[in-house]
This record gives sequence, C-alpha cells and structure tokens, in this order.
Amino acid sequence: MLKITVLLLILVKLTEAQEVRVFGRVTGEKNKPLEGANVVIEGSIEGSTSDSTGYFEFQTSRKGKHNIIFTFIGYEEKIISVEIKSEDLQMNVRLRKSEVVTEEIIVTASSFTSGQQSQVTITPLEIVRIPGSDGDLFRAITTFPGSNQVDEGSRITVRGGEAEEVQTILDLATLYHPFVFDDDFNTSSYTTINPWGLRGINFSSGGFSAKYGNALSAVLELKSYEMPQGTGAFLWLGLANIGLSGVYLSKDQKFGATFDAGQTILEPYFRLNGYLIDSYNPIPLARGFGGTLSYKPSSLSSIKAYFDFSEDKIGIRNSGPSYDGYFNSASSTLFSNIKFSAGIGSSFFLNAGLSFSRHKDNVTYGVLSTEGKNTYGKLRFDLVKQFSRKIELNTGGEYEYLEDRFSGRVPLLFYNLRENAPSLNISSCTHSGRAGFYTELQYKPLSSFFIVSGIRTDYHTLSEKIVFDPRISLGWKFSADHILRAAYGIYHQFPSLEYYARSVNHRLKPQQAGHYILGYEFNKNQGVFLFRVEGYYKDYRNLVLSEQATFGYNSDGKGYARGVDVFIKSSVANRYSSWISYSYTDSKRSQYNVLTESPSNYDITHNMTIVASYNITSNLVTGLSLRYSTGKPYTPVTGSIYDSVYNVYQPLYGPVNSERFPTYKRLDVNFQYIFSLLGRFAVAVFQINNVLNNKNLYDYTYNYNYTERKEIVTTNKRQFYLGLGIQF
Amino acid sequence: MFKEIIKIFFVFFIITLSLKADDYKDAMLKAISKLNKIEDNDRSGIMKLRGDFERILQLKKNNWMVYYYMAYCDLLMSQTYMNEKPDKENIKKYTESAMELLNKATDLKDDFAEAYILKISVNSNRWQYEPEKMNDILTKGQEADDLAKKYGANNPRYYLVNGIITYFTPESFGGGVDKALPTFEKSWSLFESHIPEDETYPNWGKEQTAGMLALCYAKLGKYEDSEKWLEKSLEIKPDSGFIKNFISKEIQKAKSK
Repeated sequence: MLKITVLLLILVKLTEAQEVRVFGRVTGEKNKPLEGANVVIEGSIEGSTSDSTGYFEFQTSRKGKHNIIFTFIGYEEKIISVEIKSEDLQMNVRLRKSEVVTEEIIVTASSFTSGQQSQVTITPLEIVRIPGSDGDLFRAITTFPGSNQVDEGSRITVRGGEAEEVQTILDLATLYHPFVFDDDFNTSSYTTINPWGLRGINFSSGGFSAKYGNALSAVLELKSYEMPQGTGAFLWLGLANIGLSGVYLSKDQKFGATFDAGQTILEPYFRLNGYLIDSYNPIPLARGFGGTLSYKPSSLSSIKAYFDFSEDKIGIRNSGPSYDGYFNSASSTLFSNIKFSAGIGSSFFLNAGLSFSRHKDNVTYGVLSTEGKNTYGKLRFDLVKQFSRKIELNTGGEYEYLEDRFSGRVPLLFYNLRENAPSLNISSCTHSGRAGFYTELQYKPLSSFFIVSGIRTDYHTLSEKIVFDPRISLGWKFSADHILRAAYGIYHQFPSLEYYARSVNHRLKPQQAGHYILGYEFNKNQGVFLFRVEGYYKDYRNLVLSEQATFGYNSDGKGYARGVDVFIKSSVANRYSSWISYSYTDSKRSQYNVLTESPSNYDITHNMTIVASYNITSNLVTGLSLRYSTGKPYTPVTGSIYDSVYNVYQPLYGPVNSERFPTYKRLDVNFQYIFSLLGRFAVAVFQINNVLNNKNLYDYTYNYNYTERKEIVTTNKRQFYLGLGIQF
Repeated sequence: MFKEIIKIFFVFFIITLSLKADDYKDAMLKAISKLNKIEDNDRSGIMKLRGDFERILQLKKNNWMVYYYMAYCDLLMSQTYMNEKPDKENIKKYTESAMELLNKATDLKDDFAEAYILKISVNSNRWQYEPEKMNDILTKGQEADDLAKKYGANNPRYYLVNGIITYFTPESFGGGVDKALPTFEKSWSLFESHIPEDETYPNWGKEQTAGMLALCYAKLGKYEDSEKWLEKSLEIKPDSGFIKNFISKEIQKAKSK
C-alpha cells in the first residue's frame, strides 16, 4: 500500500513540475489598461494581479478545463472557461464598467417617512424627542404639516377631515382602536403603539397609493422589525407610568421574541401638578401588555405573530346643564396579527397577514348607560413583482369582517341626561364584510422621474355597494435639489356600522373624496436643509348626515377642504434638528342635520408648530416645541326653551360651527440625559409641558337654563414629568 | 485488494483535505505578514496584496476574515490618494469598495467588532469627497460606532480609530487634542494586554497609538513625553511609514510653532 501512495505522491509532484505560464492583459473601456485587476483559477489561489500596464502572469500546474475569474473594483466580473494544455496560455481580457446605481426618487406627494434609510424625512429618535408628545408616536405625528390637531389627545385629524378618515395600519393589519382614554370627554388619549419596535413609519396626508382602501383622508402605515434587534430588557420608572419590556434574539438569529407591559400610576403625578383629585373617580388607569414571536426559516422569509391587550377606566366630573356627576368609561382592546413574508426567486415578494381584534367599551353618565362591542377580522395579501429596475408591479387584496354590537339606555331627549330622564333601550348588531383588490404599476423611465398608477375596487356586503378608485402619482427631480410632485385619486370609505344600523335598509352610500395635490420640494445636502410646500383640494360627497325626523342617517352630505402645507426642516445628525410646519386650511361640509356647508370640526385656519432639539453634549439633549393655532370652531347656544313636561331646558343653537374658541398656544420643553448607572445604559427624562401655563379651552358648558356659559379648560396645564429608564 | 484501494483512496482524500485547510491558513498568514511590512505609499504593492487576499476566497468562499483584509487594503489604497491634492475619484472608489466588503463581512458575522471599527474609519473618508451628505456620514458613523462599542468595548483599535477622528475634529465640534489624548491612552493600555483571537485576526495599530500619543504630547508642549512615545512607536515598527511620513513631520511642525 505504501508503495502505491508513494507512487501517487510522485505522480502528483511530477505533474506539478510541468507548469505552464498563463499571461495576458486586462483592459477596460477604450483599451485602457487596468492596474490591480485580480486573475484567479476558480477553486485555487493560483493567479495574479495585473500591473500598471494591465499585464499579468502566473504559473500553474493545472491541466484541463478550468474557469479563470477576472475581477476589478467598479467593473463587472468576467469568467472565462479555458482548456489548459502543455503550452503557455495567453488571455487578453476586456472588462465592462458596472452600472452605477444612482439615487432615485420614489417619495410620493404628501408623505412623511421615518425609518432606517437615509432618505427619511424624520428619524424615530427625532420623533420620540419631540417635547410635549410624551414619547407618543401619534402625538408626534400631529406636529407634521397637514395635521389639524388642536386638542391634547393622540387622535390624528388631517387636512380638515375627521379623525375617522385616517386609517392606521401595522404590518398589513388595520388598527381600529390603538388608543387608551379615547372618549369624548375632557381626557387625553394616548396610543398603545411602542415607537421603538418600528422599522418604518409612513404618514401620508393625501394622494396615497391604491394599496390602501377604505380611508378618506390619510394613512399612517407602521412596519415593525421582522426580527428583534438583539437581546435585552428595559425598565421605565416614570412619575405617571411604569413599564418593562424585553427582547430576545436566538444565537442563530432564526427565532425572536419580545414582550412589553406597562401601567399608569397617575395619583402622585396629579397631586404634584395640582390636579383636583375630587374631579376624578376613579383616577384614570390604563394598563397593557403585549408581545411578538418571530421565526425566520430562511434569509428571504419570515413569520411574525403580534399580540397586544390594553384596558383603561376613567371617571371625570362634569357639570352639565341637566346633570352634574361623573362621566365613567371603561374600555378594553385586544389586537392580534400573524404576518408572513417570503421572497420567491429574486424579483417576486409575497406578504400575507391575518388579524383579529376586539374592542369593548362601557359608558355611563346620568341616564346614559351603554355597552359597545366591536369585532374585526382581516385577511390581507400583497404581491410585488419587479420586472426590471424600472418597472414594478404591486397587486393584492384583502377581506375584512366588521361587527358592531351596541346595547344600553340612551336619553330620549339629548338635552335631558338626568338619571330618571325618559330613555330608550337600544340593542343592535350589525355586521358587514368588505372585499378589496388593487393593482398598481410603478414605472421609472429615468432615475429622476417616476409615475405610479393604480386602481382599486372594494365591495361592501351589507350595503351591496361596489366602488372603483383610480389613483395616480408623479414625481420629477428636475434638478439636483428640486423636486415636483403631483397626485390625483378617488377615495372611498364606507360609513361606520353604527350609521348603517340606523339607516333605511342599510342604504348608505360609500363616502367619497377626490384628492388633487401639487407640491414642490427643495432638499439641500440630503436633509441638512429641506423645504416643502404643497397645495391640495379635496371634494367630499355622500357624507353621512342625520335626519331629524327619523332619528336615522342618510348620505346627502357634501363638502370640500383646501389648503397649503409648508414644512421647513434643518438638521445635522447628532447635533441639532429643527422644523417648522405650517398649514392653512379651509374646510366646509354639511354636518349634523344641516345640508348647508359650514366649517368642519377641524377647520383650523392657521396651524403652526415649531420643534427644535439640540445636543448640548453627546449625553445631554434638550428640545422645545411651540404650537400656535386658530381656535377650533364650535356651535354656539343662543337661547333655550323651557320644556314643562320634563322640567328641563332645551338649548337653541346658532349656525353650525359659527364661532371659535380662542387661539391655541402651548410651549413644551424637555431634557434627556444619557448616562451609565451601575454599568448599565440609562436615560433620564425631564419635561415641562405647557411651560407658560396657557389656558386652552376644551369646550363650553352651560348652567341649567343656558343663560351662563362656563369654560372647560384642557387638562394640559403646566405639568412636570420625570422618568428614568434603565437597560439591562 | 479492493480494501486496499479504498484505504489508499481514503488516505489520499485526507491528505488533500488537510492540504486544503492548511492552504487557507498558510495563504492568510503569508498575506498578513506581507501586510505588516507594506509601505503606506506603495500603491502597486497594496494592490498586489489585495489580489493575494482576494484569491484566498477561492479556498474559502464568502469568508468574512478575507473580506475584512480586502477592505483594509482598500482603505490603505484610499489613503494613498489623500495628500495635498486629494484624488477624490479614487478615494471614493476604494472607500465604497471597502464599505461594501465590510458590509459583507458583518452580514456573515454580525458580532465582528474589528469590521465595525474599520467601518468607522472607512466611513469618515467620505468627508473628503461628499461632505454634502453630512447627515448620512454622521448617522452611518454613529451606527458603526455603536456596534463597534457593543462587540469590541475592549478593543484597542476602537479607541485608536475614535481618537484619530476626535483629534481631527475641530474643538468647537467636540474634538481636539485634549479630548483625543485620553482615548489614545485607553487604546495603549488595552494594546498592552491585547491578544488577537487567533493569528489570522487583525493585529495592527499599536505603533499608531504610540505615534498619536507622541503627537498629542508634542502639541501640548510636553516634548519629553513626546520623545519617549516616538521611540516606543519606532521600537514596535521601525520602518513605519505612518510614523516617518506623518507623525514625525507633524511633531516638527508642532515644535517649530
């Protein structure tokens, strides 16, 4: 055996001795010699690097068929199959420059993005640092142009529309009630979404894609990370709330899990800030917990399950004309979603999601005592096919199930809320399905120009109505720093089920809005200086109106909204960031039971927000935000009639929304200090909301016969807040 | 007989296998030792060396360590174009190539501290040819810094790279000699106990830290300390181009002021 081995080794040695020379020249365009090009026989380290004349040379003992690989920085790789025989081999090779990928524009009109890419309008860190937003994502978004928010809560209202006209989407699922403390009395709502788990945020205040259906005004799309970003935990101790969250990512990065839990503890906070504790019974309480599980079977596919539960209760003293007592509300929301994504081949992507949510709320005030239960299910899929770098086709569909159960006691006369007032017992259950499909083509003939055109259709099973929405969006970067954008589209939204419940044969029409948008952007040095101005016009049709005679609803409302949004931002990463957003809005529509158009609830003529943050040192950041806006419209009470049957006064109203609250002003500041506590990363936050203690009105209330008007001031007086977070 | 042939085949197989494994390590060690001797301005030498590393990829496809060294060669190449009249086109070419390779390396091994440390340095090259993208440069720099710190909190090269960036940052932006000095001191104290994970791991920079300390002390007027550190750096790498061509000249400038 030894003999044979030796023989073999000798044979190997012998063949090695018979080396041949491989040589030649590597050139680029116009036969220019390339210095530093690499030449190698595939599967071996035999090869060479070309010199300044492009010449290369090496010896090899290999024989037979081989692949020779030629590479050079900035050029396309070339593989040449050769047969190495016993004589020298000359190879003159010309390489081709690889195509330069230039930065392209795909940002559509009216959209504000946040996330990890370098082209985002606002980074997640900038969002959570906005003073006065209390780290709440939705409140932060209300500082963007197009938002007409003037009260303290998290509800987003856009370009003169109602809050219901904005749809929130998380990983393909619709979020129907992403709030706690969300009711019509003087409370401040907060969103239940944790901004840190988000990979991308896209807020579109109009002219959005055909992907999104059943939204009349705006879309807020949130995308969470497919997989957690590491392993760790974070504890938050705040003056008003505590929270604990954790993330886990397995070693092979195929499995991940997260959880978070939190609760408000408002009593010490109320006492410190001088709230009248007697005005609350119970003191507002909100708590929630949630988590995610993710699994990544391959680099191109992932599956993620999301679960979240939150509940709240509140009792707030309200002295109304006919009843003086506590307004009590309690609600709970459950949200769950499973999302699956997969890349099929290199140019085909599939996303699919299945979600289920349930929302319950109970309200009592005087004779009013109701319970609402909403159940939602949604199945959604999206397909993306890239035909080339220039053409992309998006298509997809969704089926949504909605159910609204409502029961309880409501007053017969809206102006008589006394505990013994005459009332009606109502019980209803309404449900509907909605099936939608869309197709959209994205075409970029040049790197400086794009056009997105799409169409969607939705069918509503309850009203048996079908709608078609064509939409188109254009962008043109006509010089290095200047961009023009335009969008047009038809948008439909089916009224919420409570209206269908009280309409004749469920015959409400889908509400419709046409969007016309034209905008210009100047962007210097990738966001160091950014200026945007955008004009829009929306015409509304088939809005829901109430019918006084039948206590029902019809679709006779119409209206319009027009305005200009301006956004100026200057920022240098890790140094400072500041922006001013200004919106001019003129929005009128038919409301309540009045066909004539009147200023809509969010017809805020002028709305300005200034936000600035500055890194004093790399560990200490301070921020400021200033809001200034025209007062919200309200309908005045002009007198009253005595109702002798029930011994109560009935108010008489002036024209709808014909008067306005005083101008809204508010200044907030905050400080964040990042430090090391017992060797752990820690962050301390100190903030003062409403520094100047401006009195902003929430509403007016009246005495028993409506002869005296009383102001209800917003709960946002000057407030101090302190919090400490530790990572471990 | 049949058994014999199988055995022979098996032995032969093992020989070729072990040869292959050794081939990789031998080739790496050979290339690394060349790298340790390379002159800073020897453009064609660096190019050849980059080719040596690139060919090793044929033995171990997608090897993150090879990508690291190719990126390091690209960084050296880019630095040869940074003189009085910087050749922006070439700096850009090599910087982008280095970044692409480092991204490949960290995609394959996401706790590869050395690669993040190099990213900080490579990313700062961009100031030379695209200062208008300052936001992106700062953001990417911070990202690389966060990960470098996370995985390489005790890596002396992390402090060396950061010290150099601090040294060249104007005082009004939080840089300057005073702020850089403690960073180099930290780097030095870590170098003294630093043992690379194995012999193919990066092991550069010790003389640069000593050299930067010499320069800092010279700028602060402490010429004796400066002299001491300069000697130390030359002890580590007597023919270092970095010391001869940059540090010594800068120290002379500082002294003549």
